[in-house]
Amino acid sequence: MRTQANLIRLLAPRLLGLALVASVLIALPLVVKSSFALDIFIRILLFSFIGVAWNLMGGYAKQLSLGHAAYFGLGAYSSTILQVDFGISPWIGMIIGGIVAMLASLPIGALCFRLRGPYFTIATIATAQVLMLIFLKFRDLAWGAEGTTIPNLGNAPLMMQFDAKAAYYYIVLGLLAIGLAITYRIEHSWMGYYLVAIGEDEDAAEAIGVNAPRMKRDIYMISAFLTALAGTFYTQYIYFIDPATAFNFNISIEAALVSIVGGIGTLWGPVIGTILLETTSALLQSWLGSSFGGVQLTVYSLILMAVILWRPTGLIGLIGEASRRLSRRKPVSA
Amino acid sequence: MLETLAQAVINGLLIGGIYALVSIGVTLIFGVVKIVNFAQGEFVMIGMYISFYLATQFNIDPLASLLISMPVLFVIGVLIQHVLIRRVLGQNDMPQIFLTFALSLLLLNLALMLFTANYRTVHTWYSDESIHIGGLYIPVAKLIAFVLAMVLSGALWIFLRRTDLGKAMRAAAQNRDVAMLMGINPDRVFCVALGIALALAGAAGSLLMPFYPAYPMVGQVFVLMAFVAVVLGSLGNVIGALIASLMMGIAESLGIQFVGADSGLIVIFLMLLLTLAFRPNGLGGGRART
Repeated sequence: MRTQANLIRLLAPRLLGLALVASVLIALPLVVKSSFALDIFIRILLFSFIGVAWNLMGGYAKQLSLGHAAYFGLGAYSSTILQVDFGISPWIGMIIGGIVAMLASLPIGALCFRLRGPYFTIATIATAQVLMLIFLKFRDLAWGAEGTTIPNLGNAPLMMQFDAKAAYYYIVLGLLAIGLAITYRIEHSWMGYYLVAIGEDEDAAEAIGVNAPRMKRDIYMISAFLTALAGTFYTQYIYFIDPATAFNFNISIEAALVSIVGGIGTLWGPVIGTILLETTSALLQSWLGSSFGGVQLTVYSLILMAVILWRPTGLIGLIGEASRRLSRRKPVSA
Repeated sequence: MLETLAQAVINGLLIGGIYALVSIGVTLIFGVVKIVNFAQGEFVMIGMYISFYLATQFNIDPLASLLISMPVLFVIGVLIQHVLIRRVLGQNDMPQIFLTFALSLLLLNLALMLFTANYRTVHTWYSDESIHIGGLYIPVAKLIAFVLAMVLSGALWIFLRRTDLGKAMRAAAQNRDVAMLMGINPDRVFCVALGIALALAGAAGSLLMPFYPAYPMVGQVFVLMAFVAVVLGSLGNVIGALIASLMMGIAESLGIQFVGADSGLIVIFLMLLLTLAFRPNGLGGGRART
């Protein structure tokens, strides 16, 4: 009984905080009506979600992929092909896209996991690029380089199309919540510990009986599935798809970047990283307007370098330190 | 038919010489410092822009600007090792991979801002010349580039074999700890390795300039080629990287000749994936994968 009471006392502030954040996020579109601001919020939530998906594999198991655009694109194309050619709702297409991505991660993983460290990273870049080239070259498969627009049906919730931007906001908020819940569950399971062990030292983990190939395969499948959901959402949101947007290398980069900047292998790291990077990017865009070209990635790469050199654990470590310092000070001031 | 084949092989071999300069740099850094330099292609790009501006502003021939681009990039290499890379050595994969990756992103996007995405070319008197032998054409600019690339590679090989510093570098590549016990200063060796690798990339840039356009993304093709060649030639092996680069050049050229002009990239990526799938330890076998 006593331990239970302690546990509640320990968790209560956290749950309260979470409930507070959740209610603010749910109420946000009721207050913020500006389409520009909502667009930024949607981008932040979307890239947080992609970062969370990347972080499961790249953060916990330290399999540093720069090819997650492959799954983003597969998800986007699966649901779009099903919608445009067969009239199947993107809600179903989204799940099917996730499954396609999951299945694609098996051979891709079999290939890339033969390699470690930087060569794993290079191999993942190559797989995403090959997929992009396939969708560019084989016009029969899906519209080739021109891509296609999604037929606009007006307000059709069953086809994942809405008049109100707020609806998209809630969808991607839901996706992020699912991603975080899955991360939380995995983090607190044996799988999570195995993944961290693999990330620390794969050979040592195998020596104590962790089935590293299986763990890596499984987490890659989950990560690919979630990334594909983001692909479908994004295509529905912008009403357009072509290989260059769906398999854009920048998606792979940003997925990794937000996690590393925020805090690699932590639950909230990708969210914090995305908030920082996307806010910076939005500010830059409003200051510089159309001459924004290379500026965004220049600033991103500088932030990334600074984090790597001075705080490889990411910004979340900074926040943790600050709060620890505050709580240590509390008894003195009281 | 035979003539087309021979012509494709010649074209591939000549451009393979440039790939070799880039690959040797990547493999040298990997062998000695044990990191993969994702930014190597961007240094080729910088070499090209140096030659481009020297040619357009001061009328200096791109081949002569080799004497400027190589020392400049050597110094940049030493600085990058000393200021950046030194600080992430001995850590885990994440900082090592993403530091040079961030550097690559930074240089590419700075170039995009400074020079715009336009293609820049330098036209020299030998740019359009070619030698006819039998039914075959050998473009002079590419021939000069190839010959100079081979001379530089040879010079590096002699440096690694004959000089004390070169031997120290090979020793550090084989076993860093033992090398340190023998009194080799690893910091100095690493700085020189980065300097030489970047100077070679700069040389590749200057040699390309008479027949290849400069643009911010130009390095990407070369660095991808280099990654494949470095794996094929087994990691850290200079001669292996050289031979593999020449083979890659020929393979790419044959692909363009017989599959289609726009198949270049897909051929590179497929070669990369096939190499990684079937020969992750290089064609020679040998070293463990890393």
